[in-house]
Amino acid sequence: MDNETTFLGNVRIALGEAPRSERPKKMFPRLFASPDTAAILDKIRSRTVAGQDALVEIFREQAESLNLSTHIVQSFDEAADVVVELVRSKEPEFNHTKHVSMHDHPDITALQLWNRFTREAVTLHTTFGSDRQLKDKTIASFIGITAPEIGVADSATVIQLTQPGQPRSTSLLPSIHIALLQRKNLVADLNEAYALLREKSHLDSMVFISGPSKTADIEAQLVHGAHGPREMHLIVLAVPEAVDKETATPVAAVTESPEGS
Amino acid sequence: MNSHPHSTYREDAQKGIDSPRLQKSLHNLQNRFGKGAMDIWAHLEDREMRRRVKKARMKNFDHLDILLAELASNVRARGGKVYFAKTARDAIDYTLEVAKKNQVKRVVKGKSMLSMEIDIDPALEGEGIEVVETDLGEYIIQLGGDKPSHIIAPCIHLDRNQIGELFTEKLGIDFTNDPPTLTMAARKALREKMLGADMGLTGCNLACAETGQISLVSNEGNIRMATTIPPVHVALMGMERIVATLEEHRETLQLLTRAAALQKLSTYVSFLGGPTGQTDSDGPKEFHLVIIDNGRSKILADPEFREVLACIRCGACLNICPVYGQIGGHAYNSPYCGPIGAVISPLLDGINKHADLCKGETLCGACKEICPVQIDLPRMLAALRHKLAYGSDRWNTSQHNPAEAYGFTLWRLLVTRSAFYRAFIKIGRFFQRPFVRKNKMISKMAGIGSGWTKGRDLPPIAKKTFTELWEEKYGKEKPAPPTAREEENNG
Amino acid sequence: MSGKTVSLFIQCLIDTMFPETGLAMIEVFDRLGIPYEYPTGQTCCGQPAFNSGYQRDAAAAARRFIELFESAEVIVCPSGSCVYMVRHHYPELFADDPDMHSRALAIGAKTFEFTQYLVDELEVVDVGAEFSGSVTYHDSCHLNLGLKIADQPRTLLKNVRGLELIEMQDSNVCCGFGGTFSVNYPEISVAMADEKIDNILATGAGAVTGCDISCLMNILGRLSRRGEEVQVLHIAQILAGEKGGKS
Repeated sequence: MDNETTFLGNVRIALGEAPRSERPKKMFPRLFASPDTAAILDKIRSRTVAGQDALVEIFREQAESLNLSTHIVQSFDEAADVVVELVRSKEPEFNHTKHVSMHDHPDITALQLWNRFTREAVTLHTTFGSDRQLKDKTIASFIGITAPEIGVADSATVIQLTQPGQPRSTSLLPSIHIALLQRKNLVADLNEAYALLREKSHLDSMVFISGPSKTADIEAQLVHGAHGPREMHLIVLAVPEAVDKETATPVAAVTESPEGS
Repeated sequence: MNSHPHSTYREDAQKGIDSPRLQKSLHNLQNRFGKGAMDIWAHLEDREMRRRVKKARMKNFDHLDILLAELASNVRARGGKVYFAKTARDAIDYTLEVAKKNQVKRVVKGKSMLSMEIDIDPALEGEGIEVVETDLGEYIIQLGGDKPSHIIAPCIHLDRNQIGELFTEKLGIDFTNDPPTLTMAARKALREKMLGADMGLTGCNLACAETGQISLVSNEGNIRMATTIPPVHVALMGMERIVATLEEHRETLQLLTRAAALQKLSTYVSFLGGPTGQTDSDGPKEFHLVIIDNGRSKILADPEFREVLACIRCGACLNICPVYGQIGGHAYNSPYCGPIGAVISPLLDGINKHADLCKGETLCGACKEICPVQIDLPRMLAALRHKLAYGSDRWNTSQHNPAEAYGFTLWRLLVTRSAFYRAFIKIGRFFQRPFVRKNKMISKMAGIGSGWTKGRDLPPIAKKTFTELWEEKYGKEKPAPPTAREEENNG
Repeated sequence: MSGKTVSLFIQCLIDTMFPETGLAMIEVFDRLGIPYEYPTGQTCCGQPAFNSGYQRDAAAAARRFIELFESAEVIVCPSGSCVYMVRHHYPELFADDPDMHSRALAIGAKTFEFTQYLVDELEVVDVGAEFSGSVTYHDSCHLNLGLKIADQPRTLLKNVRGLELIEMQDSNVCCGFGGTFSVNYPEISVAMADEKIDNILATGAGAVTGCDISCLMNILGRLSRRGEEVQVLHIAQILAGEKGGKS
């Protein structure tokens, strides 16, 4: 703690303040003041389905130049179709077997992917927190599936907050990243997104993702696929209002890869 | 002109000018990114955004102690460690201690200018630790034992053939000069390094005091990997890289990504602020935020220069500077090049030492126009020149060029006494005669003039100056008003 | 017409090396019927010293300028960089001297660059000039970025009968003069001048013009050394209807 006191004391000296008197933040209420987000939140909450559909279009347009493929589906089944097609048509980059890692999220569970691969050599892993082999399984996976919390249309961005069962590496280590987003979680711009983030009780590790990884370090020529995923797909679930998402079968049973622990 | 004895600015500048490869790269870079950024500002919907962010940055400096304390407190609440490093040495020692405690054998680095400023790599390597740059550009630089030449695009001075040869030599792959293929080769090589690393070492683009997070901007994903896979993450942060609130963070981030690479957002923006939580399955077990001063508090204390701390290291000024566009980044001999480098390198590392950086530009003002936070770099360059002109105790600067100072003293005597001034011109006119060639130009001069005549001709002092012509025509009186003159001419 | 008598602030370089530019300026004033006078004691605004860091010496020149020109109704100068010096740097030089500071502000408020004065103050866009040939225009840094003057010279040029104005690539990029920079860092300065000249030559124009003689002197000097045939004319010379400039 001592070096902090000296350090901040030096800063205070530089500012012409008394070095040893700490300046408590409560004496500067405006320093951490933020504009009121009520109006923005209202706007988000009262957005109609038509409004949301418009945002989906904007997202799709923006996503094109970022090499981010957008798939718009109307049911979990359709979403699963997209995933299955990708799993079948793409080849692993770093090994020879098809492993897929998926976040532990009700929307992903609802895809019931384990039912789709019963007749082929595809191994599915759910990224449970208790899994001590998580890192190896993720490294072995050529596809990672996540369900980001927020989508931002204006910049074709998805925002992922690290949660239990939803680790960081799933959208990072596999060569292909598939993100599943419900249409209602799409907001117009970063302003709206930050307003939603502000509502969280506390923020820990999170990441904004706007497409597959890329670099332009060699002669300023854009190359897609640097260290992160080299391919990214966003599946937008534009589920009609009436259908509830509680169609998932409980996770405990059935055909997942045998757990290590 | 006297250069600092060890400055190679002019020679290195000449090398840059003489390299067709570099010229082509810089030309393309500036054409796309310099003009592109100016275009973005011209079409920015919110015209006040840049001014607002600048104002917020300056306001934050007024309260920097409070913000840093808040940031530290929030990081610690999450289980992260915060170390306040007054000097580069302090920061290095702390990081080495962390590395030793964790028996670190390999460090993977995210691109960090600060890490170069404090020169931490040799210290780590001295302890037998392997240091691997993971940003593609920095990796290429590291493989080649080279130095970066741009803040955002470090190996812009190399072309694909040079990189291809380097990869064949160092990675053992068949020669290719195809950027995607080269990138894939690096991707494979670095993935292995990152998966087996013991510590990630990154910088920090922007810290948010309110939430206790640091944010890191990247397109490649290497920073995400370096901060997720290894069990230890050390983040180096310049003490000025902080915003107070999420709202400020949003606006500053948006300016950064637009100015740096014309992007609405970079591919990845990572927010971190502590070790992996109870419920996280991956992420580092230890998170260390090293907040570094290394001369910044001195800049903070000087109202003339405090403004330069607002820099968010976007590199846009490099993309428009006509001097940088000719000489490239290596001539600056500093981790920080371009217009921003010309101001902070002297302030952090010695004004006399970097005198050429203070004086070696035209003050054209393009950098000020393009800066997302409207930093008045030309004003500060003029202020640095002021220190060099007469010396400065505050900045431990000695008068840089006594002969030049004497010259300007003489100049002052002349311009404040018009009789002397006119006489001096007459003398000059007399002595120039042998130097005026048939084409009516002077092509060779001695002394200070030789700088001009090496590459250019110089028109001579006129046979009659404007003042002399005027006095011939009107004597020492004012001319009559136009109507009177017309009558005079017509009459 | 504003009717004010113009006090001519001629710039040291024009006075000593390019007096024809000064003569051209007053010829334009004659044609327009603008009264003018010339304080013959003027020397230099102080910019060379200021840009090189010698602010005390620059302040001495500034003080003299202020004393000399203070009683003028309006001051007009055919140089953007000098006007920028007076308007922007004079108040800075006297930041610690409230009296001089306000005198500096006052004088800055009535100091104008030549084309700005014609177009913005006198509202004249056509000075009745003729010129046959093509011309390209160089935007000097302090004029363009500092004073935000870019349209006014072009408006005047476009109204010159017979003149074809061709825009060059990167007309607003620095020519490399930069005051003492040109002699202290000649290799960089010449490289920048070369790029400017390549852009000039690419237009095919027979002449290049601008509002700052320092830039034009730099361009002229390098053109001459390169043996190129392009004429270099200060805009005042074109507006006065002259066809001969230095080349």
